[in-house]
Amino acid sequence: MRNKKINIIVLAIFILIIGVSIYYIITEPINRGLDLKGGTQIILKPVESEGSEVTGKKLDEAMRIIRDRIDYLGISEPLVTRDTLNNNIVIQLPGVSKSERALEVIGKTAQLEFRILTGTLISRSGQNTEFVEFDPETGSIIYDENAEEVILVDNIYSAMPIKIGVLYTDPATGEIYLMDKDFDPNEKTDIGEDSGKQIWEEYILGKFEYNEYTHEMNLMSVDDNEMLGELLIDSRTNTASLVGPVLLIGNKLSKAGAGYDSNGRIIVSLSFKDEGAGIFEEITRNNIGEQLAIVLDEEIKSAPSINNTITGGDAVIEGINSLDEASYIAEILNIGALPFTLIQEDVNIIGPSLGEDSLNKGIFAGIIGLILIVIFMIIYYRGLGLISTLGLMIYVLVFWGIMAGIGAALTLPGIAGIILTIGMAVDANVIIFARIREEGRKGKSPRIAIGDGFKHASRTIVDANVTTLITAAALFYFGTGPIKGFAVTLALGVGISMAVSLLFTRSILFMFSGLPVVASPGFIGVRKKEEQ
Amino acid sequence: MNRKRLHFNFIGRSKIWFIISAVVILTGVIGYFIQGGFNFGIDFLGGTLIEIEFMQDTETEEIRNVLFDIGYGNSIIRQSLTPGQTDSNRYIIQIKGEGKGKEISPGEKTKILDALDEDIGINPQLLQDRTVSPGFGSILIRNALIAIAISLAGILIYVWIRFEFRFGATAIVTLAHDVLVTLGVYAILGREINTSTIAALLTIIGYSLNDTIVVFDRIRENTPQARKMGYAGVVNDSVNMTLTRSINTSITTLFPIVLLLILGTASLKDFALALTIGIISGTYSSIFFASPLLVAWNNRFSKYKK
Repeated sequence: MRNKKINIIVLAIFILIIGVSIYYIITEPINRGLDLKGGTQIILKPVESEGSEVTGKKLDEAMRIIRDRIDYLGISEPLVTRDTLNNNIVIQLPGVSKSERALEVIGKTAQLEFRILTGTLISRSGQNTEFVEFDPETGSIIYDENAEEVILVDNIYSAMPIKIGVLYTDPATGEIYLMDKDFDPNEKTDIGEDSGKQIWEEYILGKFEYNEYTHEMNLMSVDDNEMLGELLIDSRTNTASLVGPVLLIGNKLSKAGAGYDSNGRIIVSLSFKDEGAGIFEEITRNNIGEQLAIVLDEEIKSAPSINNTITGGDAVIEGINSLDEASYIAEILNIGALPFTLIQEDVNIIGPSLGEDSLNKGIFAGIIGLILIVIFMIIYYRGLGLISTLGLMIYVLVFWGIMAGIGAALTLPGIAGIILTIGMAVDANVIIFARIREEGRKGKSPRIAIGDGFKHASRTIVDANVTTLITAAALFYFGTGPIKGFAVTLALGVGISMAVSLLFTRSILFMFSGLPVVASPGFIGVRKKEEQ
Repeated sequence: MNRKRLHFNFIGRSKIWFIISAVVILTGVIGYFIQGGFNFGIDFLGGTLIEIEFMQDTETEEIRNVLFDIGYGNSIIRQSLTPGQTDSNRYIIQIKGEGKGKEISPGEKTKILDALDEDIGINPQLLQDRTVSPGFGSILIRNALIAIAISLAGILIYVWIRFEFRFGATAIVTLAHDVLVTLGVYAILGREINTSTIAALLTIIGYSLNDTIVVFDRIRENTPQARKMGYAGVVNDSVNMTLTRSINTSITTLFPIVLLLILGTASLKDFALALTIGIISGTYSSIFFASPLLVAWNNRFSKYKK
């Protein structure tokens, strides 16, 4: 009597679960992963540089900034998550139309810096002067090979730029040096190797060192390896320019806005907070006569000359092509700078048609597979096969319901996972039925055979499935994106199939084991002959 | 016991099974060297992959010529076919960049697409566009190896606790057998190995183990009889008792997987192929490899009556 009660309770719980599952299947559509619905996935890796170690707090900050920027772009439903294992940031955007723009905006550090412009590099041959370019991607300084000399001049906008240094490449090592303005590279060749080296070393102001990871070309002191300055692109003329250390950064900014100045030029106006305004005032006081480089993401945007001390903390960025660009700059400055540089590890843009196809084919294969399994089970296990069919239907319903209910994303490997677990769900039944049959063949009555069969089979099923769960857990922890989706479907499938076979199938078999049809040996697929 | 039931002498022919396994794995190793290693996908190697639809019929050669003219002649070009199709205008192009990195810049990509559009004509809406930095792959491989190591260690510990150490160790060797067989087929066929393949390999580990454990469980149950019939006899009987189940489960699991292999799209097929090989190998190994190995272990370090 007591067992009967338990069986009724188990079946009642299952009916309840099935009801809830059907509710979720109807109300919540299955969440499709990016590989099925199409879209853009970007994996960004933060780069550590001196003074900016990657911490959890900074990653959270970076994620907030990225979300705000995506919001600004007007892309709905972005998914910004953190890959805790590798400290990467994973961004998923629906659709592909804005992916190019998103890539451009998301990765921007938006680091605003105020530095003193030391000078600009130009190449000179006779009366001709040409600008020198710099490629931060490769770290190469590009100039006319036939030029007599490459020099650093203080201000290319002034009527008479003053030569303040000479660029010199050591032919032996390929290292690039900034030399004193009195150094003549052509004379150097006349000096002997040994003694010559010492003489030209006296002219060295600094040595250029390129960092492949941060793409920075720094001017380092040869004596104490201290940073003297950095080579940047001046976006006004696209020339390589040398700037001093960072004096003030954008996080002290209180507000940025786009607009026009009194001459009708497009500007971004900047105002500093109390502390920032103080530093800004000090910078302008100490550097009267110098040019103040306003640097955004390693590019000099403008470099006004400092004529007098500026109080109040207001500044402007000039040299902007359109009002759209000005509002974009103002907006990303207001949202804030990323706490570190991010590099794109994996950019995957998937058109919507590709996944649609996979999903339909996957569902089709699953349904046909299911039908074949059912036919096989009924032919082989007769009455028990019918019960396993019922169990399989419940399995599919509950699986689908949970996927919809928890909002788990269905991915391409996930489809394969589901199809695999359908096969494995049957396995638990096969183990139980094979065992029941075996017990039946020993001459036990179906009722006893069912009881004994379950007892033996349960242990096997638990042992066999726990090991699959271990694998799923490892996959979930170490996998990314679609693989995680696969791990979820695998674990769900194994868990549900265990519950269905060990609880539902058991209860229903025991409930009906008193009925004559179940009590006949044919029901468990044992022929009368074999009983003897 | 029913005398009419089929009863095979699996253990008596252990040598034959070991030789078959060795030959299959060795074939894979030879295939690996003939093919010059595995064909790793873009997510492991890094690089740029685009899948595009051409507006008119074209040939791989024609695309290659266009790419060759602008300096990307070493790109890998594949026609993308969905099941039932013998021809399609969809192509997958894997471009190898020049210089230090394998990925190409957005500028280079635009150049390539413009050239293809001008000479052949393409649908501007790309089907897929993926760029992976070369360093990323090594992290993925590292993670995959950690995942495999951790799950193997977890399995070993679990089986050790529930059974005996010899069962755990035998199970791990059996899993290695199945993974090697699957990788061997991939090497011979030159099929691409990507993150999905790794997931499939881990699934094979789970599935094969499932199969092996069912047999082991029966051996554990029958071990008390070892005194009477010897350990080999116990193992042989246990394999026979679970034989129907092993075959039936493989059949029901293979139904949908093989259908996926026939009907699925390219990426689903990749997954289904690994699983099909793994399930077949897993079934074989649970019957013909794991159990004889267990007996061999017992012969060596005798705990039960031989």
